[in-house]
Amino acid sequence: MGTQQARDLAEGAVVRARNAGATYAEARVQSTWEREFGLKNGEPQPSFFAEGFGIGVRVIARGALGFAATNDMSPSSVNEVALKAVRLAKASSAVLRHPVVFDSSKAARAKWSAPEQRKIENADSAWLRGVLVEIESRIANGRAGVKLPGRLLYISAELQERYYVNSDGARVVGRVPRVSFGGSLTAVEGGESAQRFIQQGETGGLEVARRIGLAEKVEGEAKVMGKVLKTSAKPPTGVIDVVLGPELSGIAAHESVGHPQEADRVLGREGAQAGESYLKEDSIGTKIGSDEANVSDDPTLLHSNGFVPVDDEGVKARKRFLIKDGVINEFLQDRATAERFGRESNGASRAVSFDREPIIRMSNTFVEPGDYSTAELIREVRHGVLFKTFTEWNIDDKRLNQRYVALEAYLIEQGELRGLVKAPVLEITTPKLWGSVKARSKHMEFEAATCGKGDPMQGAPVWTGGPETLLGGIRLGAR
Amino acid sequence: MDLDGLTQQAIAAAEALRVDDAVALGARSADSMIRFANDSVTLVSRVEEAELSVYLAKDRRRAIASTSNLSPSAVKKFVRDLFSSMKGLPQSEYVPLPEKAAKYSPRGAWHDRKLEDLDEELPGLAGAAIDSARTAGGKRSAGVISAGKVDVSILTTTGTRGSDSRTAITLNIRSFGENEASGHGLSCSSTLSGFDPVTAGRRAGEGARGMEQASEPEAGRYEVLLSPTVASNLVESVAGAASAFSVDAGTSYLAEKLGKKVASPSFNLTDHGAVKGGLGGRAFDDEGTSTGTNRIIEGGVLRGYLHNLTTAKKWKSKSTGSAGFVSPHPWNLEVGKGDATYDEMVKEMKRGIVLTSNWYTRFKNYRTGEFSTVPRDGAYLVENGRISKSLKGMRAGDALERLFSSVRLLSKEREWIQWWEVETPTLCPWVLVDGVSITRAYG
Repeated sequence: MGTQQARDLAEGAVVRARNAGATYAEARVQSTWEREFGLKNGEPQPSFFAEGFGIGVRVIARGALGFAATNDMSPSSVNEVALKAVRLAKASSAVLRHPVVFDSSKAARAKWSAPEQRKIENADSAWLRGVLVEIESRIANGRAGVKLPGRLLYISAELQERYYVNSDGARVVGRVPRVSFGGSLTAVEGGESAQRFIQQGETGGLEVARRIGLAEKVEGEAKVMGKVLKTSAKPPTGVIDVVLGPELSGIAAHESVGHPQEADRVLGREGAQAGESYLKEDSIGTKIGSDEANVSDDPTLLHSNGFVPVDDEGVKARKRFLIKDGVINEFLQDRATAERFGRESNGASRAVSFDREPIIRMSNTFVEPGDYSTAELIREVRHGVLFKTFTEWNIDDKRLNQRYVALEAYLIEQGELRGLVKAPVLEITTPKLWGSVKARSKHMEFEAATCGKGDPMQGAPVWTGGPETLLGGIRLGAR
Repeated sequence: MDLDGLTQQAIAAAEALRVDDAVALGARSADSMIRFANDSVTLVSRVEEAELSVYLAKDRRRAIASTSNLSPSAVKKFVRDLFSSMKGLPQSEYVPLPEKAAKYSPRGAWHDRKLEDLDEELPGLAGAAIDSARTAGGKRSAGVISAGKVDVSILTTTGTRGSDSRTAITLNIRSFGENEASGHGLSCSSTLSGFDPVTAGRRAGEGARGMEQASEPEAGRYEVLLSPTVASNLVESVAGAASAFSVDAGTSYLAEKLGKKVASPSFNLTDHGAVKGGLGGRAFDDEGTSTGTNRIIEGGVLRGYLHNLTTAKKWKSKSTGSAGFVSPHPWNLEVGKGDATYDEMVKEMKRGIVLTSNWYTRFKNYRTGEFSTVPRDGAYLVENGRISKSLKGMRAGDALERLFSSVRLLSKEREWIQWWEVETPTLCPWVLVDGVSITRAYG
């Protein structure tokens, strides 16, 4: 991370802010390096290269939070940023009703990096292009068994480095290399079209593309799109069982468990943007799901897209058991919310760049695995539908009313997978979904996603995932 | 270094490398923000940044890059590194920059210096919004006021040069009442004098109070009266579909619809590069082409796509001044006004729903335009021309072409909208639409 000079500036900014009257101060020097390449229907798009570097200073003064940031790293500019953050906080006391106090979490002194085998900095144009050309060669010209007139493929290699210091003694150096893929495929057949947005990504170096079998995955998705267009039938009506595949388990865990259990949402801090939560400050211990409902968030998973072992408040992160045996077990906490709840931060605070404040974020959110094999779980279903992948989805801002429209979905009859069904809709309340969990497989998969939150918006890389999850007694919706 | 100096240095470095084309865009922004929740400030911030973006073309190879490391030595190295990175690139679609140089001057009239540094005033403005919401019946409020300026400077190897600037201030406030009730208010302006936190707060407070007895509607098809806030969210997707890049990528429901009817005859959609009152945009696009006024939909007919130089060549058209080096995009959208008042529109409804805010619009298929969105805050059932009760817990679903082809009335009052769910500033009326699907969750 940067130079000793940059670190000295961060240390100096904290001292400067404290001397100016801040009761707490932190500084984060953060750099981003990114290379990206894209193909649109096989045609190379202009390559993209970005580098960003700057400092953000956050303080508590007169009980209020102030934040200032700049990419002018001259000593005078950084000093002014520190003073500005203090002045802003002090000036806002006229509309301060709930002073901000941080908990006494142990200040981390750590140097961490996401493991990489092939350095991310070696991602030149030829490498990026090579990855996409291989994918293109598998899916263009009907090679995946379906016409794909719309193919938009992007790959990026990114490195984020940070140096973090606060007035409680934390000193953290972090390095996160990441490879990300985004693809939009549009398939047509007989006047009908289907669309799939694919996101894949892990922390690590250039080995990531092979490790996750990127080309094979995209090819597999394309083949399925053809089958969906050619063979899918109407989904069943009435009350049936639903099996959520890992992708659906993951998005449901993220949207209807992870988000409502962000303590800042529970306290109303995101009320004007991403909304609040159906859960309240006293909801810990509430039974919300069946005994089989178990959902966690774990920032310590190696290779994961949301790997953050130490957060951006200098707190060592740990796995969070969000729902345990159907009971709300804990919220995602930063130091301010933890103090309000009388708990300790569990290290959930993240900022995506130097010019953004750290806020509570999910990392890798998933349904915990169960005991069944996938085949055993399917055999439990007399009449139902397996939702394997989804397209359209959304949820209300209290996280009670969610909808997932499947792309790849199969009818299940008498414990066996039958043919594809067309665009079944799961539109369901959160208590009904998690209260209907009857069983989980032990087969786990994770998907990369970008979680949006904050104002200005911060898109944070995460994983969502889980096993096959069996829901009993569900009525499907319709478009 | 000032922005002009920055772009000159970048272009000099590019010319030394004998590129075929180069564009340097320098941008400097300063944004002040105050956020609040439960009637209490949660953060005040000031972010000042500068960035240099460079486009290079050489032997039909193209690359774009941006950097925030702006020391003279760093800029030179940045351009050289970008040039070096092009060696591994294949040749691609390439359109030379226009040979005729253009000159642009700042639009001083639309730049309000009072918004350049509003740090001292933000707490008072937030307090005014909060007090207004409480007076109107909201129990507590959350929101954000953002104010700032952006200066942009351009220089190209073909001699196009100029600069522009804009200022904007926005308030997004939600007020909350009993029984999970909530209301929403916005105020969006390019000048401080046009900013009205009191009215936005009052709307949020009134909405919260009016929603305290809300119940879930029956699923079915309804007439729906979309507020400017909701309509702008959907209109932004229409404009996205009008980008020629989206059409080429297979993600536009407007593909193969040029010259065809895609909306009701009363629906008109225009994009302005620079327009009085507009919160976004500038006089030139990323390729140095003059931004102007582009009629996207006129009388319900799709008149044109948004183009940069590359998409324009493919479509045997001209750049519409909408670059994005990669993807053309809108700057300031305007939906044509109608002749109805809000009250007249409600009276026109037999069995309908008024939606004042929404979020989380997601598409099943951009090629077909099928989507759903989640209403939030004030929502009201209208029966025989009168609001009969408030509604919650629903979802609206449709396809964009069907929805905008079912527009029955547009209001004569319009508002500028830009907030968390609407990135492109949009001047938009109330829009009355027939036959929108409303669904509820199971359980």
